[in-house]
Amino acid sequence: MSVIFILILASLMIAIGFLIAFIWSVKTNQYEDDYTPSVRILFENDVKQDKDDKTKQ
Amino acid sequence: MELQKFQYDNKTVKWFAYATMFWGIVGMLAGLLAALQLCIPALNMDLPYTTFGRVRPIHTNAVIFAFVGNGIFMGVYYSLQRLLKARMFSDFLSKVHFFGWQFIIVLAAISLALGKTTGKEYAELEWPIDILITIVWVVFGWNMFGTIIRRRERHLYVAIWFYIATFVTIAMLHIVNSIEIPVSFWKSYSWYAGVQDALVQWWYGHNAVAFFLTTPYLGLMYYFLPKAANRPVYSYRLSIIHFWSLIFIYIWAGPHHLLYTSVPDWAQSLGVVFSIMLIAPSWGGMINGLLTLRGAWDKVREDVVLKFLVVAVTAYGMATFEGPMLSLKNVSAIAHYTDWIVAHVHVGALGWNGFMTFGILYWLIPRLFRVELFSKKLANMHFWIGTLGIVLYAVPMYWSGIMQSLMWKEFTPEGQLKWQFMDTVTKMIPFYATRAIGGSLYLIGAVMMVYNLIKTIKKGSFLANENAEAPALENTVISHGKEHWHRWIERKPVQMMIVSLVVVAIGGIIEFVPTFLVKSNIPTIASVKPYTPLELHGRDIYVREGCYTCHSQMIRPFRSETARYGEYSKAGEFVYDHPFQWGSKRTGPDLARVGGKYPDSWHYNHMLDPTSMSPGSIMPPYPWLFDDQIDVSLTVAKIRAMKRLGVPYPDGYENKAAKDMEQQAKIIAGNLEKDGIRILADREVIALIGYLQRMGTDIKNESKRDTLNK
Amino acid sequence: MIKETQRIMLCYHCGENCENETIHIAEKHFCCQGCKTVYEILNKVELCDYYMMESQPGLSQKTQVRPDKFVFLDDDTLQLKLIHYKDKVQSHVSFYLPQMHCSSCIWLLEHLGKLDKHIIRSQVNFLKKEVSIVFNHQYTSLRKVTELLTAIGYEPHFSLNNLADKPKKNYDKTRIYKIGVTGFCFGNIMLLSFPEYFSLGNMEEKDLQQLFSYLILFLSLPVFFYSASEFFVSAWKSIKQKILNIDAPIAIAILITFGRSLYEILSQTGAGYLDSMSGIVFFMLIGRFFQNKTYNTMAFDRDYTSYFPLGVTLLSENGMEEQIPVSNLKTGQRIKVHSSEIIPADCILFLGKGMIDYSFVSGEAIPVEKHIGEIIYAGGKQTGGALELEVVKDVSQSYLTQLWNNDAFTKAKDTGKSYIHSISKYFTLVLFSIAIASALYWYVHDASRIWNSVTSVLIVACPCALLLSATFTNGNMLRILQKYGFYARNAAVIEQISEADTIVFDKTGTITQQEESAITFTGVQLHYETIQLIRSLVGQSNHPLSKAILQSLPFCKLIPVKNYEELVGLGIRGRVLDHEILMGSSDFINEKIVSTDKGSNVYVKIDNKLLGYYSIQTTYRPGLSELLKELQEKYDISLLSGDNNSEQLKLKKWFRSDLLFNQSPQDKLNYIKKLQAYGKKVIMMGDGLNDAGALKQSDVGIAVTDNINNFSPACDVIMNGNSFSYFNPLLRYCKQNKLIINMSFVISIAYNLIGLYFAVQGQLKPVIAAILMPVSSISIVLFTTGMSSLCSLSLKKAGLKVINKHPKDDTNHTAN
Repeated sequence: MSVIFILILASLMIAIGFLIAFIWSVKTNQYEDDYTPSVRILFENDVKQDKDDKTKQ
Repeated sequence: MELQKFQYDNKTVKWFAYATMFWGIVGMLAGLLAALQLCIPALNMDLPYTTFGRVRPIHTNAVIFAFVGNGIFMGVYYSLQRLLKARMFSDFLSKVHFFGWQFIIVLAAISLALGKTTGKEYAELEWPIDILITIVWVVFGWNMFGTIIRRRERHLYVAIWFYIATFVTIAMLHIVNSIEIPVSFWKSYSWYAGVQDALVQWWYGHNAVAFFLTTPYLGLMYYFLPKAANRPVYSYRLSIIHFWSLIFIYIWAGPHHLLYTSVPDWAQSLGVVFSIMLIAPSWGGMINGLLTLRGAWDKVREDVVLKFLVVAVTAYGMATFEGPMLSLKNVSAIAHYTDWIVAHVHVGALGWNGFMTFGILYWLIPRLFRVELFSKKLANMHFWIGTLGIVLYAVPMYWSGIMQSLMWKEFTPEGQLKWQFMDTVTKMIPFYATRAIGGSLYLIGAVMMVYNLIKTIKKGSFLANENAEAPALENTVISHGKEHWHRWIERKPVQMMIVSLVVVAIGGIIEFVPTFLVKSNIPTIASVKPYTPLELHGRDIYVREGCYTCHSQMIRPFRSETARYGEYSKAGEFVYDHPFQWGSKRTGPDLARVGGKYPDSWHYNHMLDPTSMSPGSIMPPYPWLFDDQIDVSLTVAKIRAMKRLGVPYPDGYENKAAKDMEQQAKIIAGNLEKDGIRILADREVIALIGYLQRMGTDIKNESKRDTLNK
Repeated sequence: MIKETQRIMLCYHCGENCENETIHIAEKHFCCQGCKTVYEILNKVELCDYYMMESQPGLSQKTQVRPDKFVFLDDDTLQLKLIHYKDKVQSHVSFYLPQMHCSSCIWLLEHLGKLDKHIIRSQVNFLKKEVSIVFNHQYTSLRKVTELLTAIGYEPHFSLNNLADKPKKNYDKTRIYKIGVTGFCFGNIMLLSFPEYFSLGNMEEKDLQQLFSYLILFLSLPVFFYSASEFFVSAWKSIKQKILNIDAPIAIAILITFGRSLYEILSQTGAGYLDSMSGIVFFMLIGRFFQNKTYNTMAFDRDYTSYFPLGVTLLSENGMEEQIPVSNLKTGQRIKVHSSEIIPADCILFLGKGMIDYSFVSGEAIPVEKHIGEIIYAGGKQTGGALELEVVKDVSQSYLTQLWNNDAFTKAKDTGKSYIHSISKYFTLVLFSIAIASALYWYVHDASRIWNSVTSVLIVACPCALLLSATFTNGNMLRILQKYGFYARNAAVIEQISEADTIVFDKTGTITQQEESAITFTGVQLHYETIQLIRSLVGQSNHPLSKAILQSLPFCKLIPVKNYEELVGLGIRGRVLDHEILMGSSDFINEKIVSTDKGSNVYVKIDNKLLGYYSIQTTYRPGLSELLKELQEKYDISLLSGDNNSEQLKLKKWFRSDLLFNQSPQDKLNYIKKLQAYGKKVIMMGDGLNDAGALKQSDVGIAVTDNINNFSPACDVIMNGNSFSYFNPLLRYCKQNKLIINMSFVISIAYNLIGLYFAVQGQLKPVIAAILMPVSSISIVLFTTGMSSLCSLSLKKAGLKVINKHPKDDTNHTAN
């Protein structure tokens, strides 16, 4: 069943990659505020669009 | 310092949206055709390109990689830009990504129709396409990470993490599973053999479901559901926990697809335990999604988009609960190889992926074209007809699946199997018919959507580049001076990141493959011998025609199966199978021990007209096998390849191979002649017969020594 | 939900009623100029989506901020303190904005760049009600930014406390790291261990088995050396102090487990127990995280500094006004205090008439009148016009603030070691005796199994379940209590409460409703004419009492008063329509009245006929009497009031035991000390600065506040005023905590016994440990959280309302 070596090592490699990503995201205070972001995404892009940009489909 | 002005790229989003709609219809049509072929075999049209064995892979690939794939990219390209307050990293990469992906899909459709397949489910595409996929995927990742690094919003919204997970894991899965040795431009052999191949394949197979059909869609759910409902996700904290708990262990699933096969017990059990554990994170997501709408159900009643999303999330919950149940050994004993599994995956595909995609399209198109949806009424009709379709699809499949399984297992008081396999097939027909109706309803719904959206697009005006503005991320970060890592990443060019990932993955694998695989392919059952050149050709025809889509080659250790098919399968019997052909569905009987069961002439007639040998059969005839010649030009290459994979052909055998093949072919032709059948020995059917007659014979007269699990 | 159905005009900005309909733009009406201005500002820069997201998202702007209020922010030393990062162009600063309450707020505050293009970026942390702003100080300034925020209705809350350079409260990162890492390792170790268990220790593929065990070992290293470190540290500390806390046996267990597993794997004699080990660590970390979860929206250790203003107007000799930070204030300096500002230090009144509202400081209901030459203590709020004062003591030395020099503040309060620690002592002893016993047994029978059995005993008997039962019960209770507006500082507090036997109340603001005094007239029936006479007279006076009475009277035309005179501290007199009217204290109208309650009574005498008196009473929180009645049964209850004893009679009904008035902050503190000297466990309920000492001294200090974002003195619990009448059920709930923990102890002991059963025989299979560990842990977690939630149903029954802090769920934006 030696193929399992590969599967495990590959899986572990990825998993560890994500562990590092996790540590990074905590380090950079990604999760300091775990509420406001969920509201922030609701804000629509409110910039006025100039007319000439329209391209009739 | 001013606000930075920039523009969102809506064009690529639009393209992907169009592709999603188009391929959606195509994929579903293919599915419908396949479904109909099961109740009206005539629809196979006696053409190689339109037989079930080739249509089914086209269907699966089309809906997964074309429909869902483009759906993912559509959603990602739209949400990523807005979540990061930045245009996609490079318009060029976006173009390459889009056209590259569509090119791959077209290639896939053609090559599959032509029978160019590796014979591994959901990874049927041949090696040149595999390489293309890898390249385009890297382009996608490059584009995504580039955008992430150029972002103007410090916080990475949870959806983005799901996108990242999708990219990274799919890249690895695809690479590991597609390691194959080319024989010709359109033919290759999987590097792994038998049990090993099976493990890798289903490790891939399951995670493809997990990371292509689930994680990206969870990401989309976390963006589009709150947007559509205009309220923040129920608990953002939960969503964060949801992601990390999922990602840390998700990758482990897979072996539960091989319960009761020749895979070692502990590997099977691992798969089971694992799948059970997955309920938690999956439901975490579902609950979070549904609770987002708490106190807003009045909205759901009015807003068709929300309707689609709600049903999608519910379907997700059902599927992710059913999955672990199916992975329980005793449930699997009943469900495996039956239409129950088909029903299960379609609840996920039609409900979760399909409805989620529809919902997003209904939400997105009017926004891109800055206009109201053409007809809410029509959309609502779509919703109801689609839901009805899912029900009409799933219910008969569950029913028939369980019924067929029980029939297979039923014994008479005298201890005889009660039913011939054919009886169980004919019983299926009405259910297949109902399923086809359900499917077509779903398809009709989709067509209505496309019409509705085209009308919407017609009356709207598209905004290719949407103005936006946001302050730049100030490069110095106050947050408690712990920024080294971050800064480091930002200084590194994004290319490095992706390239290094791919390199490491490939490097790691290349390093391990030869050592382990070749070594472990040494036969452990003395009497199991490599295939003869003729049989090898026959086997490749078997793969080409996609026989594995209806026939399994794995007899499970149950009385009902050994009584029907003979001695149960041993791992050692498959050591020369590149790729393994265990299959996952028994529309027809298992073939693991078909060898020597019938005379050659039986097979000959059966391939010419199945009903002549087994009345009521729904198997299509394969007339072309009787005209086409065996492609001897590849014989040498094939033997060489096999030798490189550790198959112990004697030295220089590739040169003798042709002669051996001729001899064996002549013998078979001779046998046929005895039964009054005249045919040239160089026809493909001869090779196929050779392979069929070889199957499972090696250990027939072998005393059952401790040959289990190795 | 725009309320068109109602007749009254609602302010487009803040949703309050518009008295007059004169203030409006097009058909948008406003309650006041302030609101209108805000609208105009936003309208100019096309930020009116602010009004689209939520209807009437603003807050009333009736009370205007005086223009030069923030001049003091130009002071460099001050800026150094407030700005936490600065380079050539950028300054990073974060403001606390109590007004923040809905998603519109978030939206607007993150679009400040549109109002002032030199604001580079602004980001909101809603739960903290904080906005962090990066601005370009070459073009704009801290003061300008602050004034901008104020202009759009978000006046930042500055206080002396901002100057204290203590590290910004940040969420516990290390713990999150640990949980993440451990979770990762645990998950993967477990999956790698399964093969071993399924093939029950005899896998065919030896090479795989090895690979697995080495991977496991590798994965367990971070758990052992990083995640588990805190247990070793605390265990070591406790041992050095000659006490065995709960971490000691845990540390031992982890140590032994790791050691033995290491041996087994390296010597290839077994699979080891690393999965159990990492699992235990994982669960315990989760538990601790759960329990120590603090509310970043709340401040439990505020002192006077966060109540006192940051800036003050200094008057230089030549009468020039200058804004300086309070910290720079020196004795002898002359300062100006505007209306509704707080007196920063003890001063002598120099110019103007003092009307000092001490309700928050000392608890007196009515503003105190101060005259030139009198001393005004710091902390009071001027309600009349502007004053000129001369500082006699520095801020830190003033009457009120010197309280903080009391040792109650200097020495950190003992938060009380959870009593599981005391239990763990016996636990450990028992554990060791068992280990020794089994050792002896095997010494006699089969010496080869000593080491094996002893280690196994120490492994399975790990008291993690005990720890879990405490942490999860407390954690969940904290969560539930918080839902009902009862914010405990930490888990220990709950245990403290459950041990308390005495409750001491402060009066004003605690058992009474703040700034709400009811005026009642006792005496003959007054008819309209008389009322008109009285109203005309009090209309002449500026005395707080007169004002209060004036407001209480129905509107009627004032009649000119002849020969009006006001006698300080006595009353007022005058002639209205040839009626001689006297109003004032009993001595003033020289009538010997045996009045029930003296003090804030104003007698009315017209034409030498005593009509009766107006009495000013404070209104008590609803349900107070019932609450006290219930509490009497279980606790000694006493009252400490800084106020005069005018209410004594009424209070007598409720408080059988001590009932003390005119208590100085110091008195209160000492009173608590006295009780504790008698071995009482005291809960102090207060609200004001003057209670700070008592709150600090008491075993559990509970600060009652009607808005958790308002200032509340240092305490262990911040309680929402609305939940006050449910205080008893809350107490009862806290008491249940011990019960639940004890019950779950029983469960965990049961599991330990099962484990020991195998262990003492020296045959603890890893698989058994691996099953026992999660099963016990999970069942404990489920039981404790389940039970504590179950008990909380009683709170719901009692009628407590859940308090929701998220904007989408806010129904009325005009709240708080």
